[in-house]
Amino acid sequence: QAHKEEDNPEKTMEVNGLPSVPDSYDYDLIVIGGGSGGLAAAKEAAKYEKKVMVLDFVTPTPQGSSWGLGGTCVNVGCIPKKLMHQAALLGQALQDSRKFGWQFTEEVKHNWMTMTESVQNYIGSLNWGYRVALRDKKVTYENAYGEFVGPHTIKATNKKGVEKLYTAERFIIATGERPRYLGVPGDKEHCISSDDLFSLPYCPGKTLVVGASYVALECAGFLAGLGLDVTVMVRSILLRGFDQDMANRIGEYMNEHGVNFIREFVPIKVEQVEEGTPGKLKVTAKSTTGNQIIEGEYNTVLLAIGRDPCTRKIGLDRVGVNINEKTGKIPVNDEEQTNVPYIYAIGDILQDKLELTPVAIQAGRLLVQRLYAGATTKCDYVNVPTTVFTPLEYGACGYSEETAVEKFGEENIEVYHSHFWPLEWTVPSRDNNKCYAKIICNIQDNERVIGFHVLGPNAGEVTQGFAAAIKCGLTKEQLDGTVGIHPVCAEV
Amino acid sequence: MGWEEMQVRGYPEFVRTAQRYHGRPIFALFCGDKDAEGRSWCPDCVTAEPVVRKELHNLPDESVFIYCLVGDRAYWKDPNNEFRKNLKLTGVPTLLKYGTPQKLVEEECFKAELVHMLFTED
Repeated sequence: QAHKEEDNPEKTMEVNGLPSVPDSYDYDLIVIGGGSGGLAAAKEAAKYEKKVMVLDFVTPTPQGSSWGLGGTCVNVGCIPKKLMHQAALLGQALQDSRKFGWQFTEEVKHNWMTMTESVQNYIGSLNWGYRVALRDKKVTYENAYGEFVGPHTIKATNKKGVEKLYTAERFIIATGERPRYLGVPGDKEHCISSDDLFSLPYCPGKTLVVGASYVALECAGFLAGLGLDVTVMVRSILLRGFDQDMANRIGEYMNEHGVNFIREFVPIKVEQVEEGTPGKLKVTAKSTTGNQIIEGEYNTVLLAIGRDPCTRKIGLDRVGVNINEKTGKIPVNDEEQTNVPYIYAIGDILQDKLELTPVAIQAGRLLVQRLYAGATTKCDYVNVPTTVFTPLEYGACGYSEETAVEKFGEENIEVYHSHFWPLEWTVPSRDNNKCYAKIICNIQDNERVIGFHVLGPNAGEVTQGFAAAIKCGLTKEQLDGTVGIHPVCAEV
Repeated sequence: MGWEEMQVRGYPEFVRTAQRYHGRPIFALFCGDKDAEGRSWCPDCVTAEPVVRKELHNLPDESVFIYCLVGDRAYWKDPNNEFRKNLKLTGVPTLLKYGTPQKLVEEECFKAELVHMLFTED
């Protein structure tokens, strides 16, 4: 007999002849996935003296790459990305420095292995730090692949194939995503993804980046900044979902600064011409607008065409958790609860929510506070600021111009914009018409600032403060009334 | 073969010893010098040492445990001493697995659970 479940751990249940779930569970909470969201939730739960387990497991990439505890952000996302972006910026700074009087005669070259080793060492210290933090807070951590096998029950399989069963009162799914492959011959055998790039044990050389996501553009950006020959193959538009005017400015800047773009083509075949580290690959691509076929040779092909949630092989069907069959994402209510009351989900796998580390962390913490500390605050997904770390950085908070027009009507919004020339760029004669900022205001609501966009150095640092102001309901008048700090980019 | 302990004093001796055992897992505990009565100038080291010693039996086979006295208080406080510069030590006591980013610093060394984790897990 199947009982209609409530999230009440004291009841036992029998569903479809499976063994009844005991009144007492092994754990109060099992978190599947030790990334940004999972770890934040687990550490928070431990604060309330709950018995918590975290399962984290990285299925190696087709190239064999793997990594430690901490999830995408720490290992193959935000952290190494920003460090390598910084490496590229430093290269630019070295060029600029001559105009400021620094004299050096040697040619400045970049050593990929030195950079990668330092980055990986730092990541290793973060992995270790998380393990210390979990152990210190008495959170059980297992490096094992978790999947549901029945109500309140999961099976954890470690890398030696040893299986163990665990039960818990509640579960949080925080399994994140992995890069998507093209589905064409040679993609898995010869191409790499962001999962491989940051620990690549050899310099990637002449690189083709396939994709137009922020991952594609950020990687293409820093690879070019390090002196490599980089081409980006774009199927249609850049940075889908972002303000398109800003996206095009980013693309233009990259193009003018040494990144080649091949627009409206998709790869149909990748073949190995020469083995090596790196070897040589031949890419055959077809136009999306006609029958034209082109070929090109590269040392490395980096795929950045999207990410898919890790929700299809964790036994969700066995416990009845609904997922969007097409995308793999999990729909949840505004309390991060799935359709199964004792199973919650946070992070990148959520449907219609922003895929950002701070969002996952916030959602995880607030969820746990609601579960165990009687809190009622829900995660606020509105006006979340974000930054794209392309060579010319882009910070944004709120509506894109297109979305604002769609939602409020063109006549009801006012856009204020300006180019600016960072003082630091004047002396080295860097572009004087590329940095740009705009705000989008809702005329009907006191000219409230509903969109903030800035393209320029340190965009992330600039945007953070404005995000707080927007959360407080910043209006154009208040913005005008705020005296600027001089001389900085943000004063514009 | 179980594990063995080497006691060294000062940076050059530490480096020589670590190099000699290259290829085997090496764990090192860095403490402040001890006086004639065997007491260290570093109170946290006094607390940590017995906790660490109690866990030594969990060391993997073939391991080498290097017990290293870093120097006197003045030497340690110098921000340019070789341990700080080359090994990136930030405090004593420090217990680390040589050649990896895995380490426990100061009060972390008082916790048997964490020492156990450092010695037994990858």
